[in-house]
Amino acid sequence: MEGRAVIARATKTVVPRRPRARRSLYLQYLVEPFAYLSPAIVLIGTVILIPLIIGISYSFQSIELLRPFDSGWVGFENYAALWSDRKFWIALENTFFWTFWSVSLQFLLGLGLALLLNTQFFGKRLFQALVFLPWAVPTFLSALTWAWLFNPVIGPLPHWLADLGILSEPYNILGDPELAIWGPIMANIWFGVPFFAITLLAALQSIPGELYEAAEIDGASAWQTFSKITLPFLAPMIAITVMLRTIWIANFADLIFVMTGGGPANSTQILSTYIFTTAFRKLDFGYASTIAVALLLILLIYSLIVLWLRKKLIKI
Amino acid sequence: MARIQLNDVKKSYGDVNVLRDINLDIQDGEFIVLVGPSGCGKSTLLRMIAGLEPISGGDFMIDGERMNDVRPRDRDIAMVFQSYALYPHMDVARNMGFSMEIRGDAAEERKSKVAAAAETLGLSKLTNRLPKALSGGQRQRVAMGRAIIRDPRAFLFDEPLSNLDAALRVEMRLEIARLHQKLGATMIYVTHDQVEALTLADRIVVLEGGDIQQVGSPLELYERPANKFVAQFIGSPTMNVVPVEGGAGGITLAGSKLTLPHLGDTSAAVELGIRPEHIDVVAPDQGMLKAVADVVEHLGSDTNIYARVEGIGPMMVRVHGNIPARSGDLLGLNIQPLNAHIFAADGTALRRADAIAA
Ligand SMILES: Nc1ncnc2c1ncn2[C@@H]1O[C@H](COP(=O)(O)OP(=O)(O)OP(=O)(O)O)[C@@H](O)[C@H]1O
Ligand SMILES: [Mg+2]
Repeated sequence: MEGRAVIARATKTVVPRRPRARRSLYLQYLVEPFAYLSPAIVLIGTVILIPLIIGISYSFQSIELLRPFDSGWVGFENYAALWSDRKFWIALENTFFWTFWSVSLQFLLGLGLALLLNTQFFGKRLFQALVFLPWAVPTFLSALTWAWLFNPVIGPLPHWLADLGILSEPYNILGDPELAIWGPIMANIWFGVPFFAITLLAALQSIPGELYEAAEIDGASAWQTFSKITLPFLAPMIAITVMLRTIWIANFADLIFVMTGGGPANSTQILSTYIFTTAFRKLDFGYASTIAVALLLILLIYSLIVLWLRKKLIKI
Repeated sequence: MARIQLNDVKKSYGDVNVLRDINLDIQDGEFIVLVGPSGCGKSTLLRMIAGLEPISGGDFMIDGERMNDVRPRDRDIAMVFQSYALYPHMDVARNMGFSMEIRGDAAEERKSKVAAAAETLGLSKLTNRLPKALSGGQRQRVAMGRAIIRDPRAFLFDEPLSNLDAALRVEMRLEIARLHQKLGATMIYVTHDQVEALTLADRIVVLEGGDIQQVGSPLELYERPANKFVAQFIGSPTMNVVPVEGGAGGITLAGSKLTLPHLGDTSAAVELGIRPEHIDVVAPDQGMLKAVADVVEHLGSDTNIYARVEGIGPMMVRVHGNIPARSGDLLGLNIQPLNAHIFAADGTALRRADAIAA
């Protein structure tokens, strides 16, 4: 009797609980995870998403601090203005030029440096410390220093370039619309090589030495070893660092802003400096946001292509 | 196919001498196994032969040609690494055909050779896979495939089976033996595993402390070890070594005399070595030695007895088949005199008379 009573009591308590159990399952799998994620969601929302949405919404408004009574929604007016803005197209072209040459030269020199640092030679530690130094110098300071280096009155570079026959006479290339952009590009290369060197060196050091031994026994030459073993191993790292640096450099206004201010005659104006001057010199936040959205879209498309290529080409 | 000779080959790192005066003459098509305790320089010797490690002194010759300073790729030697060292970004076929790809051989030729090698090694269905999608044994076979495709003069193996489980190890061991029979190439094989060494080798090289202790066929090493180290290193379970008193006509062991006519003069004897399988168990009062069984292991085919011997100490005895011994039993032990080994104070074995005669 005792046993039966217990079973009866048990079924009585279990059966009515069923619906509640189902509801709690539902809660458990649909709602609960988000509760745990909520701090991160709130953080991402407030720090990234809300400013992004506000920024995009600005691009559809007229917000000029100098004409405070004209503010309001204007639809695609800013975009129409952008399309016919000659300065925007110049800046876009300059952005491509600046980003392409900065990234590719930084990458090539960084790769060379990483390969060098991956070997053993006398004084390596000191050399390594020196190589990574530019990364630690504030951009503002390095921009000023480079601007001075290009100044023929106090800097040596114009004289060296003239002696090498690259310039006809020692003048300041930062004042020449044809060559001015190479000034900030050189400063940027100096500044950005350590980044590639560090990351690629880390990737190089993670390649098992045995693979090189196996390749050596298989008869590979130095170039074959590099192209068939080293490069495929570096590829994931190369893809990610090149992508990051491209986005970074396309957005990187400091060097140009300090060295040339976008001039002469907009020859060094890139989108990010254009955004900066539009927003903080002309105080036209609406139009600045429109340019920024255009830059965002371009970089988004670029990143998608890189990520697709990476997935397509890299097997490790 | 190659004859490999090492004449006084040395290796030192700074002032650490890892290998001293190694002399070896490996015949064309011979299967040589290098054994020795960890850190004795087996891998180093193999890597020196492959060309991955510079040779500090002496002459290393392949087919009579001095090869000390020849680059690995010009030595025409293939090596299978312990961790296989497969290229993780290449599929099985490309991994195996990599040496041909490097040489710039025609794609069709490469394909047919890879297919043939994959067939031999049972990898035909896996040629499109990346190494990460293979089991340990399959990876091991790919590593072997990479070696055989080159049709090299000699093969080097550095503990190729040590990452495999016991069953697979047996299978791959047979595979390697078959491969050697088929190709007839010179092979040098490093292992820790005695069974591998004893089953595969034409000759075994025992290395210890930077020196070669003995070179010989598996049976030779088992029956006539040159010294105490080899005696204890080869053979499982390990040989018992016990102190004895030497004498011109025989030795004295725990008070009883043992004559060893086959060894001639035994006055230099300090220790006696006897393998567990060369001790006979008899009734307690009939044996030359009295012992108590401490632990008895019944393995089915054999019985292992860990015995405490009166006046000597612990000894291990292995009896073929099952005997009804139990721990605590009193036993009589008889040492088979013809299988006894006698060591002098410096550890060298006294030569058997028949060995000297031969
Ligand atoms: N670069 C080095 N500098 C100094 N000593 C070294 C160096 N490389 C190896 N050794 C020493 O050389 C000896 C032989 O090493 P090796 O790798 O050949 O041993 P092994 O016989 O293959 O051992 P294991 O069976 O554990 O693989 C070791 O004692 C090791 O400490
Ligand atoms: Mg080793």
